[in-house]
Amino acid sequence: MNDLMSNLSLGFSVAFSLQGLWYCFIGVTLGTFVGVLPGIGALAAIALLLPLTFGLEATHALIMLAGIYYGSNYGGSTASILLNLPGSPSSAVTCLDGYPMAQHGRAGVALFITAIASFVGSIIGMIIMGIFSPPLAALAMSFSGPDFFALMVLGLVAASMLSSGSPLRGIAMIGLGLILGLVGRDLHSGLLRFSYGVDELYEGLPLVAVALGIFGLPEVIRNAGKIMPRKLSARDITFRSMVPTKDDWQKSRGAMLRGTGLGSFFGALPGTGGLLAAFMSYAMEKRVAKDPSRFGNGAIEGIAGPEAANNAAVQTAFIPTLTLGIPGDVIMAIMMGAMIIHGIQPGAAVITAHPDLFWGLLVSFLIGNFLLLLLNIPLIGLWVRMLSIPYSVLYPFIIAFICIGVYSVNNSVTDLYVLLFFGVLGCLMTYLRFEPAPLVLGLILGPMLEENLRRTLMLHRGDYTVFLTRPISGTFLALAFLIVVFTLWAAFRSRSIRRAARNSAAAE
Amino acid sequence: MNDPIFKLTRRKSLALAGAAILSSVAALPALAQDYPSRTISFVCAFPAGSGADVLVRYFAQAVSEVAGATVIVENKAGAAGNIAAEYTARADPDGHTVYLHAGSSTAMNYHLWNNPPIDPRSDLRGVAAINQQPFYIVVGADSPHQTIEDLNAYLREAGDNASYATSATSGRVLGAAYANALGVNPVEVQYRTGTDALPDIVSLAVDFAVSDPVQTMVNAREGRTRTLATGAGTRMQVAPDIPTLAEVGLEIDQIGWWAAWVPAGTPDDVVMKLNGFFREVLEREETQTFLASMGGDTWIGTPEEVDAMMVRSVDEAQYLVELADLPKN
Repeated sequence: MNDLMSNLSLGFSVAFSLQGLWYCFIGVTLGTFVGVLPGIGALAAIALLLPLTFGLEATHALIMLAGIYYGSNYGGSTASILLNLPGSPSSAVTCLDGYPMAQHGRAGVALFITAIASFVGSIIGMIIMGIFSPPLAALAMSFSGPDFFALMVLGLVAASMLSSGSPLRGIAMIGLGLILGLVGRDLHSGLLRFSYGVDELYEGLPLVAVALGIFGLPEVIRNAGKIMPRKLSARDITFRSMVPTKDDWQKSRGAMLRGTGLGSFFGALPGTGGLLAAFMSYAMEKRVAKDPSRFGNGAIEGIAGPEAANNAAVQTAFIPTLTLGIPGDVIMAIMMGAMIIHGIQPGAAVITAHPDLFWGLLVSFLIGNFLLLLLNIPLIGLWVRMLSIPYSVLYPFIIAFICIGVYSVNNSVTDLYVLLFFGVLGCLMTYLRFEPAPLVLGLILGPMLEENLRRTLMLHRGDYTVFLTRPISGTFLALAFLIVVFTLWAAFRSRSIRRAARNSAAAE
Repeated sequence: MNDPIFKLTRRKSLALAGAAILSSVAALPALAQDYPSRTISFVCAFPAGSGADVLVRYFAQAVSEVAGATVIVENKAGAAGNIAAEYTARADPDGHTVYLHAGSSTAMNYHLWNNPPIDPRSDLRGVAAINQQPFYIVVGADSPHQTIEDLNAYLREAGDNASYATSATSGRVLGAAYANALGVNPVEVQYRTGTDALPDIVSLAVDFAVSDPVQTMVNAREGRTRTLATGAGTRMQVAPDIPTLAEVGLEIDQIGWWAAWVPAGTPDDVVMKLNGFFREVLEREETQTFLASMGGDTWIGTPEEVDAMMVRSVDEAQYLVELADLPKN
């Protein structure tokens, strides 16, 4: 307890320093900005700013980059509600009931409740991170090769099976990601694999270029031409229009807490995250509601739950990154890259070796979330006005910024070719309805997965049973197995229900 | 802003432009009396912010003070330093492009590629030495092996039941040379970085590890590992209590060394002037403390000594690459 107090006071001293506050403010403001605008997300913004943080202290750099990440989640709901267009991927669910609310003239209430839900989710997620990270990091010290391997298998299985699309396509994308992860130097032999004489691929495919190619470019290309400029007036969103009714409060309170629970869990599990948690929360609210038919027509629980869920997930996503060195998604992977560049090796030692970084970051989340509340309630009119920037002006800029961001990470033209290649692949995948997230996760975790598998087999002289006999790895593998069984069972059941329905329809 | 100095008249700006053209024309031949005539680039083979980058930036700052010129750091990461080395070798040989790197790994790289992009003996010219830093043999703090003799005895007895952790090419070749000199065959387990290996060293999943100088110093200070021996031929000033492997009868003398290079063909007087800048920086006590914190001893040397060391290292590297059975790309 005493420890916690002294750690927290260290965190406060770091986060409340003038610089700490400044970079936190920059991060969350920028995050809201890119979150509000559809087509550009936290990923592009972080990649673009990463090279600019080289001169900063590691803690300040991370405070700012993390601010962009969770700030974008607040902003993402604004476009969902007003334009029926998610500003960031995890706000897609908010469109379902947020846009109908706006059509019924309740846009103000929707914006207000999403801001409150985001705040509740974030703060609880942050507290969970503060309480669970130190013991988990202590436990992680006893993690060995098989445990890391099993945890990554669990993450990959969860990402493919529980994703919003079809599990089969998810597995295919993970497989492709794992294959792409083979490119570069093989750690054990030192030989280059699949680099075809391109020395720049020595360290593997450049993650920022791949991620922006596959997420960023198709997003812009898909939206270009589709989005018609809409008349939005900031004056519509008055303070008075934002006040929720007593009924709104009552309905959303439980939804927020349930969403936070789901979000905290899926955020901490590598491979899943905000989008999945938001979908789960939406499904759960629909199930517990007395009258599910309201959903899709502006049910306030349908925005409160998912928004709380995706924001909680963003906070707890830091847990595996900071305690185990396993990034749960692409943004965390880039954040980990930023730590490595600043000479901090992510993993079990971060909390003890760099307490100022861990606790400073944690306290900055608190400050950041209060700032976001300010930015998203009193200043909402500002962001609404920004949505009326014509896309013909905005999109060329976004593409230019993506290119600058990719180039500036390594000062390498090769990275731009990689960006182009994966941009085309990403468009193709969008067209064929393959999700990009599992592919990128496979690419991130692939090399770590292979390394730990081979290392384990070396340490245990080729004995595969070690994965099942060690308690930690055995538990993770059992969980992964359960997820597979559950998915198959759910698929089987829905098919038999459909068949039964068809049969009974035919009988009539 | 009414200060006359800030008023840029048309005449003044013309004069400035003329002066700029004149000075750039004058900079064309690389003559020592007007060296450095423009910004000097220090090429770093590691990404900005990394441990090695810190070292390069330290020297960029210090040399800039001594030389009274602007020195910037250019990060050309990738291919284990090949990209940066090739970039330097192809630059104008006028002393304005300087490569700071580990000579030992530059020499090693020459043997790790089937078509090495440069020959470090003839495409680069040594300017000044920087430091010498060996890898170390370490064990976890709870390991039963207290001394290097204990470890040697154990390894002889355990045969291929023993295992050890390595990271980085220098670590791999020291591990291979140690096992070879001892006549044992423990299993090598590789890690991407020294930090990755730490949990398995501490939990004694591996019997020992070949650890890089920075990690060795930090982990010993924090009581996580015990340092048993250095791979260098003689004891290091930075760790005078740590015996060498030679002291226990193993013929091993492997030292990592850092230095600065310019493209081959850079005039003698420019090289000597640059050497003087480095010498002045290296003689500072502050620099020597800084280098000690990275686990190495300061090494002040002439350009000829650097070139000779490179020739020696390239020869040695060939033997070591074969010994450690490292494949070529």
